[in-house]
Amino acid sequence: MQNNEITRDSLLSTETYVLRIENLSMHFGGLKAVDDLSFHVNRNEIFGLIGPNGAGKTTVFNCITQFYTPTRGNVFFTTDASRLQKGGDPSRQETLNLVGIPVHKIISLGLVRTFQNVEVIKELSLIDNVLIGGHIDFKANVFEQALKLPRARREEKAMREKALEALDFFDIADRKDMLAGGQPYGVLKKVELARTLLCKPKLVIMDEPAAGLNDSETDGLTQNIRKIRDAYNCSILLVEHDMGLVMNVCDRICAISFGRFLACDVPEKIRTNKIVQEAYLGEEE
Amino acid sequence: MDSNKQPTAMKKTTNFLLSLYHNQYLRFVLFGLLLACLPQLAKMKLIKTGVVTTMAQILIYAIAALGLNLLLGYSGLISLGTAGFMGLGAYVAAYFYGDLQLSFWIALLAAVAIPTLIGTLVGLTSLRISGFYLAIATLCVSEILLKTFQQATDLTGGTSGKNISYPVIFDIAFKRDTMYLLLVVALVLVMMLTWNLVNGQFGRAMHAMRGSEVAAQAMGVSLLKYRLLVFAIATAYAGLSGALYVFFVKGTYPTTWVLNLSLNILAAVVIGGVRSIYGTVLGVFVVWGVSDLFLNNIPFFRQNPQISFIVNGVLIILVVMFYPNGLGKLPSDLKAGLSRLLGGRKKPGIPNKEER
Repeated sequence: MQNNEITRDSLLSTETYVLRIENLSMHFGGLKAVDDLSFHVNRNEIFGLIGPNGAGKTTVFNCITQFYTPTRGNVFFTTDASRLQKGGDPSRQETLNLVGIPVHKIISLGLVRTFQNVEVIKELSLIDNVLIGGHIDFKANVFEQALKLPRARREEKAMREKALEALDFFDIADRKDMLAGGQPYGVLKKVELARTLLCKPKLVIMDEPAAGLNDSETDGLTQNIRKIRDAYNCSILLVEHDMGLVMNVCDRICAISFGRFLACDVPEKIRTNKIVQEAYLGEEE
Repeated sequence: MDSNKQPTAMKKTTNFLLSLYHNQYLRFVLFGLLLACLPQLAKMKLIKTGVVTTMAQILIYAIAALGLNLLLGYSGLISLGTAGFMGLGAYVAAYFYGDLQLSFWIALLAAVAIPTLIGTLVGLTSLRISGFYLAIATLCVSEILLKTFQQATDLTGGTSGKNISYPVIFDIAFKRDTMYLLLVVALVLVMMLTWNLVNGQFGRAMHAMRGSEVAAQAMGVSLLKYRLLVFAIATAYAGLSGALYVFFVKGTYPTTWVLNLSLNILAAVVIGGVRSIYGTVLGVFVVWGVSDLFLNNIPFFRQNPQISFIVNGVLIILVVMFYPNGLGKLPSDLKAGLSRLLGGRKKPGIPNKEER
């Protein structure tokens, strides 16, 4: 059964993980897309989730971010107390179970994701696309926005500066006013990453960040992923098919197949793991 | 020394002028000033007085159309209840101003607030389901409202309608021309508010929702909240539009607020182009202005007024078929076409975002 009753205080913590998935299962009718899966992501860790096509990686992501409510299991997330209630101590860490939290509330906890097919809005400029990531930080209501009252102006200005910083982080600040439509795919991928930075993330979930990128762009991505982790002091969980990137950038990797756990270890061990090779890399031999 | 200073001064002036040229609010004001000239032109006998009446009607409907444009253009939801909510605004304004003898501002406020409230209630029940359910629900509400206008004789005057006089605002007795100016001011203000909304956090959230509901939610946008908000805004605009109608026409009859009006406003939005402020006004002009202002000058159409409706319909079909992005795109397309003609091949650069 779901363990929603766990109180925050009982888990209050000195936990070193930012995300802990516990016996997660997601069934669609008879199909077990995710089956009794457990793993955890440590603080400041770059964690990879790999598996053959249809292994259920994206389903895991959707269960974490509550697009799906898991059939069974828990998703524990550790975040600053200040994000859970007003006036909370930002240095204090609290753990909560994400299961059942409305999907649009997830980002306010510091958990943000990117998408397999970049989800940017073509008709908006790059900076406006990034600003969407700051949605939850706007306090001014619709009236204040319509009349451009001081608070709305102030927030817009502050957020714009932040968005510019985020674009600058990826060296695309010079394109800030260009429309997203017509930009190269590599730039759009960067915009999507820049957007995640606006909410001061604790954990960024990336769904195939290297898909569609060429080799040099993938190299840049490798550096950027590390840069995000170091600059924002956050953890990163990524699903990726590009084994070069995964092996290169990840601190630890979890391999799954048909929704089931295979192995979880450092890249070198995963590379030589017999079970993983059979399920995933076996074709090469 | 002076030669050094002069270019910077020049540059400053040009920059200043450019910023004025790019100032969207100034453009709205200019647009309003142009519209405000019409009664003067009519006084000078340069245009017919009828033109002013038609234009007034266009200004009024444009406000409701802007609301529907927000709803349709950003949330993809369609309301067929615009006329009903406009009518509600009109009757509320007439009742508060005429029967209750309250001030113009209170009547106006009530005429916006009551439809918004009812619209929000309708939205709460029907917006959870996406798709065309809202269209059906709003159509039903509109018909219920229409029946109410006809039957609640004590409040609405039934089929014989309701009549009021031109309003007195700040002790100034408004007349037809001054009412027209008020309409212009109202439209320009609504355009500015809409511009602010669309280009702020609200607009971005709506864009995100339109692009991908999944991604919008991941960014923290609550779908229900924003659908409800935009629907409430659309009904508020409709209520304002109806109230202005009743103050300009000095009365309201149930036959005005029928489905036909809702469909015409929808057509105006589609013709003008979704998510375009000027386009919407232009669309309303095409739907209501073309037959009244141009076709009726031709004797053939004056004798056969039905035919002008057909011409109008054909025009709408043509625009939708060959210019599906709407007339709002016209200026930028013309600009692109011109520069292609004049400057040869344009560099395959990336289009810049329009000035903000």
